[in-house]
Amino acid sequence: MTDPSAPRDRLEQPEELARLLVEDPADLYEHAPCGYLSLLPDGRVVKVNRTFCDWTGLTPGAVVGLRLPDLLSAGSRVFYETHLAPLLRLQGAVREAALDVVRADGSVLPCLLNAIEVRDEGGRPLLVRATVFEATSRRRYERALLAAQRTATESERRARTLQQVVSELAAAASPEQVAEVVVRRARAAVDASGAGLWLAVPGPDHVSGQGPVPVVLAASDGLGPALLAELTAAAEGGADLVRSGGVRTVPVGPALGAAWPELAGALIGAAQDAVVVVPVSAADDRHLGALVLVLGVVGDSELISLAEPGTRGALPEADAELLATLGRQAGQALERVRLHQETARQATRSAFLLDAARLMAAGHGVAETIERIAELAVSRLADMCVVDLMTEGGLVQPVVAHADPARRHLIEELRDVHLPRRDGAHPSVRAMVEHRTIWLRGVDEAELVRFTTSPRHLAVTRALELTDLICVPLVLENRPLGVISLGADARHGLFTEADVETAEQLALQMSQGMDVAQRYELEWRTSHTLQASLLPPTPPEVPGYALAVRYLPASRGADVGGDFHDVVPLPGGDVALAVGDVVGHDVTAAATMGQLRSVHRALLVDLPGPAALVDRLHGSWPLLGLPRMATALFARLDPATGDLRIASAGHLPPLLVAGGRAELLDVRPGRLLGAPPGPAPEWAGRLAPGATLVFYTDGLVESRTADLDAGLERLRAVAVQGPTTDPGALCDRLLDALAGPRRADDVALLVLTRLPADPLAAPGRAADHRSHRPVIGAGCEEAAVEQARSDLTDALEGASGDVSVSGDAMRWSPGRTEVPAPPVAFPGLDVAAGLGSVLGLDPAAVRRLVTGAVDRLTTVAGDVADGLRLLTRDAFPGDPSRDEDR
Amino acid sequence: MRVSGPGTARPMVFAHGFGCDQTMWRAVVPHFAADHRVVTFDHVGAGGSDLSAYDPERHGSLRGYAEDLVEVVRELDLTDVVLVGHSVSSMIGVLAVLTAPERFGALVMVGPSPRYVDDEDYTGGFSRADVAALLESLDSNPAQWSAALAPLVAGPDNPDVALELAESFCRTDPRIARDFARVTFLSDNRDDLPAVRVPTLVLQCTDDAIAPEVVGRYVHSRVPGSVFTRLSATGHCPHLSAPEETAAAIRAFLRTL
Repeated sequence: MTDPSAPRDRLEQPEELARLLVEDPADLYEHAPCGYLSLLPDGRVVKVNRTFCDWTGLTPGAVVGLRLPDLLSAGSRVFYETHLAPLLRLQGAVREAALDVVRADGSVLPCLLNAIEVRDEGGRPLLVRATVFEATSRRRYERALLAAQRTATESERRARTLQQVVSELAAAASPEQVAEVVVRRARAAVDASGAGLWLAVPGPDHVSGQGPVPVVLAASDGLGPALLAELTAAAEGGADLVRSGGVRTVPVGPALGAAWPELAGALIGAAQDAVVVVPVSAADDRHLGALVLVLGVVGDSELISLAEPGTRGALPEADAELLATLGRQAGQALERVRLHQETARQATRSAFLLDAARLMAAGHGVAETIERIAELAVSRLADMCVVDLMTEGGLVQPVVAHADPARRHLIEELRDVHLPRRDGAHPSVRAMVEHRTIWLRGVDEAELVRFTTSPRHLAVTRALELTDLICVPLVLENRPLGVISLGADARHGLFTEADVETAEQLALQMSQGMDVAQRYELEWRTSHTLQASLLPPTPPEVPGYALAVRYLPASRGADVGGDFHDVVPLPGGDVALAVGDVVGHDVTAAATMGQLRSVHRALLVDLPGPAALVDRLHGSWPLLGLPRMATALFARLDPATGDLRIASAGHLPPLLVAGGRAELLDVRPGRLLGAPPGPAPEWAGRLAPGATLVFYTDGLVESRTADLDAGLERLRAVAVQGPTTDPGALCDRLLDALAGPRRADDVALLVLTRLPADPLAAPGRAADHRSHRPVIGAGCEEAAVEQARSDLTDALEGASGDVSVSGDAMRWSPGRTEVPAPPVAFPGLDVAAGLGSVLGLDPAAVRRLVTGAVDRLTTVAGDVADGLRLLTRDAFPGDPSRDEDR
Repeated sequence: MRVSGPGTARPMVFAHGFGCDQTMWRAVVPHFAADHRVVTFDHVGAGGSDLSAYDPERHGSLRGYAEDLVEVVRELDLTDVVLVGHSVSSMIGVLAVLTAPERFGALVMVGPSPRYVDDEDYTGGFSRADVAALLESLDSNPAQWSAALAPLVAGPDNPDVALELAESFCRTDPRIARDFARVTFLSDNRDDLPAVRVPTLVLQCTDDAIAPEVVGRYVHSRVPGSVFTRLSATGHCPHLSAPEETAAAIRAFLRTL
């Protein structure tokens, strides 16, 4: 007032101002620019001014007598009782307490209250004086500020939620983890009482655009079992969960009740107000599933919900946007996780198929390979595996495997019960018949009942807890080979399309592998059956003789050969012996040998001599149309006398073992059977008691590492390295020493020992021979070494030939050869050596042969050489050294 | 936590309610300190409590506060405790007694309410909207509900004193105060009452706007064998507004045990 700088005009009417300033205290109290209240210490109003009454619309009479909190809103009332009154009591004053006074019309007057407690000298409260200022604008401003702050907070909270979701999704490694993150975070973000994520099931059953997409629950949080069951039922029943569009909020109301009464009932029962469906979509807008949130009373808190029933039906726009974003994030994470999983699975599947291919290439038999494949399948692809194989009798002999050892007995029982009575409804039969993969997704009880054929079958299948089944036919070039069935149980989960593809790949591999293996097995079986039918298991007894035969197939290749031996008792008492070798050792060779042997027997009807036999075979060869050439030795034995005639069709000479010596007989080879015909000289001699004759095929003496001469030398050496009068033992010794486990060729062996003479058994001719000629058999141990040569000669004393080759013991049978024997003491040796030389193996022997031989022999030898060269070409294709030797 | 009185005397534990701290008991405690071992303490978030002990999970229900109280009692190894709880601490006391019955010998409930929100066939005194408005008020003016009033008490001329006072009275952590209000006004402990097996006194004020008499009588009817005493004191804090009457009523109750 005394401020000299004050405007002058304010001071122009000092008298009026003075009059105004002399205020009536009562008027000032009543009409002060603030509300004024006087309270007793317990808060009871004892005095109130007009201003307060004007502001509130209350009369003084209505105010006085009330406690101050009675004039306040509920929140302010609590604040007054719990804060303001205690502080006033403790501190004696409060200022700027924000309170909401309720006007007479029920509206709220935001106020600021200052109060002091008036106390007596003892500090006891007497009165409270309170002034009340209207704070509407200020409160509005505060509220606006608060709202902005809240919006910011909410926005920050959403951003934080999104950030957390993104970071947690980055760490998720499976669709389930993605679902768990999204469900948990989304539920918390919008304070939903429950949430669940349903994913569309990619599968072959669903045709795009037709009917509801099959869905499966991936995660849920806060949904009670009843509500969850109804939501799932609605989802499976065709509620259009997976569809385009934004976030949809479906209030619990008549519309929902009409469409899904059970779901609406469950929602009402759980005091829920709305369902929010959020699409979960990939980057390219493909819809992968739906996030479903339920809004309503939060059920899992101990606290009372403030939400009045039915008030949570709407979702703030910002929350809806957040959910939409979460849905997209989830979709992208799902795609990423699935891609990652698929890549890993693909690697696993590739490794599996590679292992399966290795198994099939390992060369086990079909049965063992299938068993191993089944074991591999249950260790990597499925829980159980059944492989049915097609045979002439239909589907039989399944191979089964189960991943769980505890359930192996079940699958084995299944094998025993399911097969014989299966009908066309069984998926494996359908796969077989329809030549296509049958995939039973989510096998249920009805399905089981449909395709099982007996209560026991049903019980076993049920015990296996089969949930998913893939049956893939094993088909090659439209030819059914079998069917592989892969099953999953509850612990494994459902198969994926990729699993089915893998199963189909496996089936293809198996089909091809089985085809090869089955063909191979068939050939193997056939050749052996053939072989078995061609080789008489045991030769007939020949009185006075011990006889042993052996046949060993080649250890590689077709495992069957053209070698044979034959012992045929003839009418009249003679015995025909034969050893032969058809070129090659495959099925064709075996077939040729079979025919040769049959023809041999057929020709024996006329009882021809060995040379005649060779002749006739030569003659009939073109008629027989046999595809292969053959070598053979044919012999005729008179058991009573030991007289022996032998003719060779290009065959290696027999070995004579007697008196501790072994020599090759000089049986001159005629031409190979199948070569241009030529005469086969017939050797004739007599087998002395105790002497042993060895017929063999080239597999015994030929090898890749040594020439034929060496083989023959070794044969001779081994033959005398032990007893020589036990044909069986001799056979074994020869085979042990000469035919190793890795033979390139077959071996046929026929060993005949004339038992030491028994005067009672053969008193006649044997005794005669002995009377004028000393005979020393192999069993005569007393023979002197220096006498060995003549002993052997005696052992084979010439009996009935026309031309005597040797004055000592052997004569060449004149037959058709008319070839004089070489002028040597042991023509057999030289002939053998000569044979070796014509094979291009020993030039020195050839020289010896030429010097002592006639032209005819050379001719014969040349033919033989041609034939044998063919053989050696077969055995040693492209070996230049052989060609040079020619 | 403060402990006073003879160590061998019967222990009395005073638990403050929502809105303030153990200072609330300062006019009552002297009436018992002579012949009782008196313990007062601050709930977490209030007064001088260690704010780091606050766990939103644990303290998301009254159970957590009751566990805190039981820990105090066990820490001091008190038995036959007379537990005096004001307002929400009456229910915290109920839960504590049920949690560790071997520790407590009597329960005094000052202005108790097992549920503030009205329910079917039950009057708590507040509608859902009331409580929503209350919590809204806490949200919109957290400073007021915690400690901001205190600096003004000493007047603008002496801010140093104001600061001291602010340290002294009813300072609470705004965030914890808000959560505590939620827990206080949204709990329902009606079904815990019949399980109380210690002698119980229900002290009911006149004209209590927070815990009306109908609620006090309800508590009395549900706690077996409880004693109901109506004070002439008004408001919700008789231990502040009428400490003598409050102490006398408690003494009278203890004498009957």
